[in-house]
Amino acid sequence: MTNQPLLDRQSIVVLALLAAVAILVPALNILAAPGSVLHVSDHLVPLFGKYICFALLALSVDLIWGFCGILSLGHGAFFALGGYAMGMYLMRQIGPRGVYSDPVLPDFMVFLNWKELPWFWHGFDWLPLAALMVLLVPGALAFIFGWFAFRSRVTGVYLSIITQAMTFALMLAFFRNDMGFGGNNGLTDFKDILGFPLQAASTRIGLFVLSVAALAGGYLLCRWVVSSKFGKVLVAVRDAESRTRFLGYRVEHYKLAVFTLSAMLAGVAGALYVPQVGIINPSEFAPANSIEVVIWVAVGGRGTLAGAILGALVVNAGKTWFTGVLPEFWLFALGGLFVFVTLLMPRGILGAAKDIWERSGRRLRPARVPEATAQAAE
Amino acid sequence: MTSLRSILQAFVLLIGMASAAMAGPYEDALPKFAADSYADTEAAVSGVAGSGHPLALNVVEALRDGRLLVAAGRVYLRDVSGRLIDAATGGAVEPAAGLKPVRVNNRVRRAIEAALGGMTLLSPDAGARLEAARAVFRSRDAAALPVLEKAIAQESAVAVRDALEGARAAILLSRPDASSSERLAAIETLHIRGDQDALALLTTLPPGAPSDIAEAASKAADGIRTRLALWNAVQNVWYGLSLGSVLLLAAIGLAITFGTMGVINMAHGEMVMIGAYTTFLVQELIRTHAPGLFGASLFIALPLAFLVAGAIGILIERTVIRFLYGRPLETLLATWGLSLILQQGVRTIFGPTNREVGTPGWMSGALDVAGLSLTYNRITIVVFAFLVFSALLGVLRYTSLGLYVRAVTQNRRMAGSMGIRTSRIDALAFGLGSGVAGIAGVALSQIDNVSPNLGQGYIIDSFMVVVFGGVGNLWGTLVGAMTLGIANKLLEPYAGAVLGKILLLVAIILFIQRRPRGLFALKGRAVEA
Amino acid sequence: MTAPVTPALLYLDNVSVSFDGFRALNALSLAIDHAEMRAIIGPNGAGKTTMMDVITGKTRPNEGIALFEGSHDLTALDEAAIAELGIGRKFQTPTVFEMHSVEDNLLLALKEKRSPFATLLSRRTAQERERVDALLERVRLTSSRHRKAGELSHGQKQWLEIGMLLAQQPKLLLIDEPAAGMTDQETADTADLLRDIARTQSVVVVEHDMTFVRDLGVKVTCLHEGSVLAEGSLDAVSANERVVEVYLGR
Repeated sequence: MTNQPLLDRQSIVVLALLAAVAILVPALNILAAPGSVLHVSDHLVPLFGKYICFALLALSVDLIWGFCGILSLGHGAFFALGGYAMGMYLMRQIGPRGVYSDPVLPDFMVFLNWKELPWFWHGFDWLPLAALMVLLVPGALAFIFGWFAFRSRVTGVYLSIITQAMTFALMLAFFRNDMGFGGNNGLTDFKDILGFPLQAASTRIGLFVLSVAALAGGYLLCRWVVSSKFGKVLVAVRDAESRTRFLGYRVEHYKLAVFTLSAMLAGVAGALYVPQVGIINPSEFAPANSIEVVIWVAVGGRGTLAGAILGALVVNAGKTWFTGVLPEFWLFALGGLFVFVTLLMPRGILGAAKDIWERSGRRLRPARVPEATAQAAE
Repeated sequence: MTSLRSILQAFVLLIGMASAAMAGPYEDALPKFAADSYADTEAAVSGVAGSGHPLALNVVEALRDGRLLVAAGRVYLRDVSGRLIDAATGGAVEPAAGLKPVRVNNRVRRAIEAALGGMTLLSPDAGARLEAARAVFRSRDAAALPVLEKAIAQESAVAVRDALEGARAAILLSRPDASSSERLAAIETLHIRGDQDALALLTTLPPGAPSDIAEAASKAADGIRTRLALWNAVQNVWYGLSLGSVLLLAAIGLAITFGTMGVINMAHGEMVMIGAYTTFLVQELIRTHAPGLFGASLFIALPLAFLVAGAIGILIERTVIRFLYGRPLETLLATWGLSLILQQGVRTIFGPTNREVGTPGWMSGALDVAGLSLTYNRITIVVFAFLVFSALLGVLRYTSLGLYVRAVTQNRRMAGSMGIRTSRIDALAFGLGSGVAGIAGVALSQIDNVSPNLGQGYIIDSFMVVVFGGVGNLWGTLVGAMTLGIANKLLEPYAGAVLGKILLLVAIILFIQRRPRGLFALKGRAVEA
Repeated sequence: MTAPVTPALLYLDNVSVSFDGFRALNALSLAIDHAEMRAIIGPNGAGKTTMMDVITGKTRPNEGIALFEGSHDLTALDEAAIAELGIGRKFQTPTVFEMHSVEDNLLLALKEKRSPFATLLSRRTAQERERVDALLERVRLTSSRHRKAGELSHGQKQWLEIGMLLAQQPKLLLIDEPAAGMTDQETADTADLLRDIARTQSVVVVEHDMTFVRDLGVKVTCLHEGSVLAEGSLDAVSANERVVEVYLGR
């Protein structure tokens, strides 16, 4: 409001870097000679695309955790729901090319001896409707869940635990065959999207660029939200919920609004993720996934937006490297990261970097570690 | 059994020889076996079986096993040792020429089964009689009726007589020519018997039954249905109680760390897992060094699991958690990280697969009470859960550690200024909570797979129990665990296991909206601070 | 309730609150007039904070009537609605938005539309800036306008919080121990500020510091065990035998 114009220095850096990535990765994939150090091989493009989707998911978590103090341990659910909406579209696109060659029914339904398409599958062969559902389904779930939770002032760890229960319940539900989403195996064997084959390098590059664009758009949206007066109220809620209430703000409306928005962002991330990895199954709802997202945000530095993106990229790149080189040690590393960041680097990479910069730059007063951020001071 | 059987056979053979000269139904029936027609064979079976002749059982058994032979109109049987015996006299004979086995078809086989059922009704072995009575009940073969009457008259064992009477009732009910009063009595007998089989009989009356019979049968069937539903409910409540005990064991340690200290310990499930692995190690050592102690392995494992898990808990508290007091969300994340490390650590040491933890002899088997079958390991776990609960309650109420923990729970600052070393109490309370989780692991190793993921399966349920029951109150945890356990098992028959669980989770989520601090929450200003 | 039942701005009658059997308020009755300043005193546990909780909608009374401007039933409204009616509350420990600048703290408190949609699209107007400037001047924080509120001294935070209350333009201000932790000079200045406010708005001050209460020079209500023990001038109240008994614990 006062000292944060929409495009501050941080935003310009983030957008410039994202633009560079959106240009460089495809360029190095197409132009650099295979075998050269600079070449980005075909399988790396969707891998990077996956990271970008995770970064968007992390951004959505940072929006509510970093700015409003809502620690959701169930955001993987919104991500997965967005993914399923997209997966349903891709499933319908397969048409008669499935194993059972049924023109309408996806393979798993034929396998389960279903005679007709369940009602909620209708219309998903039309991308605009599927895209709308990518936003609406996670948004609606978040709205209903949040309406109950915030109205009755469930806060702190209680909220975290019930968000975890929510995603756990959804996971159990989606594992059931009769839910109509492919049960255990989920949705897979996708062929093409809008007629472009998913295996083609050009489609993958297109999806990658689209993901980066979505991330940039998501970043701008979040930046706009947090730098508006609305965003100031969110921070006020995070730091002193009662004070905000006694000033006349309906805290539950603010929480509900930002929670729903965040769920929609997570849904978009999931929708872009599915065509790039080629599968969506119930394990995406696993509570462990959602907690992992939180640590991406913590590693990068919560309440900074850019930190969420950075954290998602760093941790996932680390995961890829570890699982390739020392697969047994990945969980040790991840677990250690949780402990290390919470104990020693509570403001994440960006916060630590800022502290160092401030300390070396202008040594006026020692930088305060804001402990109050997590507790609602009364 | 077999030896007893052969002695008996020898005995009846002996008697058979003595009475061979007399003609009777047995002697009349026997030649029909030689007629080489299925209908005659069937008639012969029922004739022999109804004769009460000492050789009858041997003949029918021989027919069943293809050891009944005919040659030149005479009937022989080859006994188990291979001797050939004249079926009419019971005397051993030299093999005659042209011996052919008597052929059987399915109809004859059914007749054989029924006949055998009828004859073993008189067996001196009560177990065999019971078995036979059940066989007759199932076959409802009217031919067995005379033997059945005889058996009922001389039966002394109550359980067997009940079974016999049930069998008679089954036959009478399905026999169109039975008198009305007989059939009504039969219906009453079946009503008292009251199991699934009786219900099946009552609901499948032969066509053309008089209306009063049909009415009585349907009334009795309704009665049985009600009773069965009741027993079913009782059984489900028992299953629920048993599940609730498991939940209680898993959650009660959490109730201490979360409830009294406000610490979200996501690694709590791993403490349970460590307890289970301690049991595994103890059993391995016993197997190799002192196999005789196996029956006591769980008792040896209990204190060890408490100490190991408790020590790890204290270590975690001292190195990580104490730096995070007042920051519950950070504690949650850090302990989640610890849980990943502990899981992977166990996986690295013991491998990712399930480990075999044996069940001591005294815990296997089941107790049959009325219509219920209660397995001993479930009973043990229910009893154990309540013991642990009472012990913990006692510790909190009557020991100075408990007093300090309660003081710190209610007012940390005040307790501190009264000279209680709060940080030490925190460590001990955390150790206590973790140790109890370890003990739970010993119990859960008996009913669950001991794998590195053991703890993960319980963590969400445990949190639900604690949050539902209300934080900071052990009684709340007890009520929470039992409510969730029983609700889960009562929902299961209608909704299925998975859907039932989902419904329950949704119900808890909604419940927390209504009472954000659980069933037994502390009220007033204390919690606002 | 449309016709005003009472001319008083705030009217509490027979209000009781109990927590698990403990009666925090016991048939409390109180009336505050327009532009009146009232000091509330009483030992710890007398129910002062609970009374404020009832007035601001944080706690629902088990029984009793709480009316604002003679027609608004405070027991049926939530905190936000009550704040919008024109009741502002300052907490015992100063509570400001520590991560926001002083200026943003006041901007958030300004009487503007409070809905999420409105705040999302709101643009700061010149008029708002003027109001913030005036408020900063009044609570003497003009030079600190860009500092984070968390960096202010204790006394400055108290004043910032009072400034935020004023930004709400409430008809009634509830002020819990404004002098706690202040220097003598700050205490005197605070008394001046409150007297100044009371010229146009009603103020209820809860305070332990008797010097400060004397400085205010207003009618005093003494609470004890959840009900009114004595009411009147400070001298009259402190001469009351029962008040002396309660305070000295005889």
